[in-house]
Amino acid sequence: MTGLFIGNNDGGNSDGDGGGGGDETAAGAPLGREALRLFMRNRAAVAGVIILVGVIFMTYIGPSLYDQDPSRIIARPLQGPGTEDVPSFGTDYLGRDVFAGVVNGGDTTLRVALVATLMIVVIGVSIGAIAGFYGGRIDTALMRFTEIFQVMPALLFALVIVTLFEPSTMVIAISIGIVLWPSLARLTRAEFLRLRNLEFVKAAQAIGASDARIMFRVMLPNALPPLIVATTLVMGTAILFEAALAFLGLGDPNNISWGYLIGQNRGSVLGGWWTVTFPGLAIFFTVLSFSLIGDGLQDAFNPKLRGR
Amino acid sequence: MAEQQDAVDPEPILSVRDLRVTFGSFTAVDGSTFDLFPGETLAVVGESGSGKSVTSLSIMRLVELGTRGKIEDGEMLFRLPDGEVVDLAQLNESEMREIRGNQISMIFQEPLTSLNPVYTTGNQVAEAVMLHQQVDRDVATERALEMFRLVRIPDPEQRLAQFPHEMSGGMRQRVMIAMALSCDPTVLIADEPTTALDVTIQAQILGLMRDLRETTGAAVMIITHDMGVVAEVADRVIVMNQAKIVESGSVYDIFENPQEDYTRALLSAVPRLGSMTGLADPAPFPLVDSAPS
Repeated sequence: MTGLFIGNNDGGNSDGDGGGGGDETAAGAPLGREALRLFMRNRAAVAGVIILVGVIFMTYIGPSLYDQDPSRIIARPLQGPGTEDVPSFGTDYLGRDVFAGVVNGGDTTLRVALVATLMIVVIGVSIGAIAGFYGGRIDTALMRFTEIFQVMPALLFALVIVTLFEPSTMVIAISIGIVLWPSLARLTRAEFLRLRNLEFVKAAQAIGASDARIMFRVMLPNALPPLIVATTLVMGTAILFEAALAFLGLGDPNNISWGYLIGQNRGSVLGGWWTVTFPGLAIFFTVLSFSLIGDGLQDAFNPKLRGR
Repeated sequence: MAEQQDAVDPEPILSVRDLRVTFGSFTAVDGSTFDLFPGETLAVVGESGSGKSVTSLSIMRLVELGTRGKIEDGEMLFRLPDGEVVDLAQLNESEMREIRGNQISMIFQEPLTSLNPVYTTGNQVAEAVMLHQQVDRDVATERALEMFRLVRIPDPEQRLAQFPHEMSGGMRQRVMIAMALSCDPTVLIADEPTTALDVTIQAQILGLMRDLRETTGAAVMIITHDMGVVAEVADRVIVMNQAKIVESGSVYDIFENPQEDYTRALLSAVPRLGSMTGLADPAPFPLVDSAPS
């Protein structure tokens, strides 16, 4: 996942960037070190990275350190934190270990978010790039198609897709991908429309580059900064969608996720706040970390902040 | 290949006949007919909107991409190195791609924006080489270095690794020229190559282009509104006004004995050294009254 925000390797690392060149017309001149410096200066973004690393550590190292089966009943139900002989986060309405659930639930959540985001990026960037590059009728057709997806209530649409098929991790991820790609498509299109008329795109055509090459090797690297920022934000949204679906009972019954834990315990919110609060906090911090990182990336790629 | 380029070849390398280009109901080029001979420099002059840029974009067949431009009529007969003659107006997109950059290259007006900001300049020239020649990156980079030397970029080894924003406008235009010439094209179209540069750099770039024409033997078509540039580099001149070619001839004929009022108006717009002697304030340029405006 870290590769995502270090990103933009296409541009290579600029040696001796020197912070000069304030006359750049296109955003996203050689980034590398300068971008990292600006990112590090945003303390909230650094906090976001630390939180995310913590979440990843808990999810992938945690289960081996805290080796408890989250679906096993270990004590009487609804024992709050601090009760004797009960794990630190208490037990849920069936007497299962809430802490074990939180530790084991991240994997599904993050996997759904990753697959959904990958799908959103692939579909959104391809459609947006083609629409923005060719313009005219192709643009009109693709944008009307995008709007069809955009006018439908996203959560309801995702619910319908999951209901039609089965609530497996894959179907949930795909349904989230299907409802969330339009925003990225529109952003990509807008970026490509802007880049379309710049001289270096004309120059690439004049040396005989093919359309696909111009779109993905010439224009896309120049459109990356806003797209990377949008991608981190969409990842947070995907996690919230997964939680919402699971809360409504459409989580994968074979895989524990944070949303699934909340959904399971929704009847005991008043009698056992800890059953929903701890998985909720896990979702909250994960989404928060993506938002903070996205915010930091926005700074990192902002040409106006360079050299300050 | 063993063709002699010493004398001007009697057979044109590019022969444009009755070219008509429209943007919707607007006619941007109306019935242009001209020839370009190997090894010569042809200047196309005219004011903004006279159709000179559209003519060059039509030859590259770039006028139809992303705009509403359309080549309505006419032929653009281009002689390939093996002697075969093709009509550029009839080629499909993939055949045209083989010609762009490889046979006919183009330099644009704005060196500041015609290089991709996210790649090093050396990388961009090497990519252009690899587009048309089946060579690996090392060979292509070697070729880029050779081209950097040819266009007289100082410290070419270091410059290859620099990004466009680390270079001055004049250096960037040299990189553009290096890129345009990297595949040994037979025709080079330069669309106002010096407009965005200051006067001393203009002189250097024009001198460079003149030398390169001699070393490479490429025919050069230079588009400009600056009669000073024309006098500097051109062998022959085409004067365009309101989508039509109004006059053409050798550079001496045009300067010594312009036939059309419009040509005279263009020439009179060039300030002459000493023409303001004795005046306290700058005076407006004299205009020929009957010239169309």
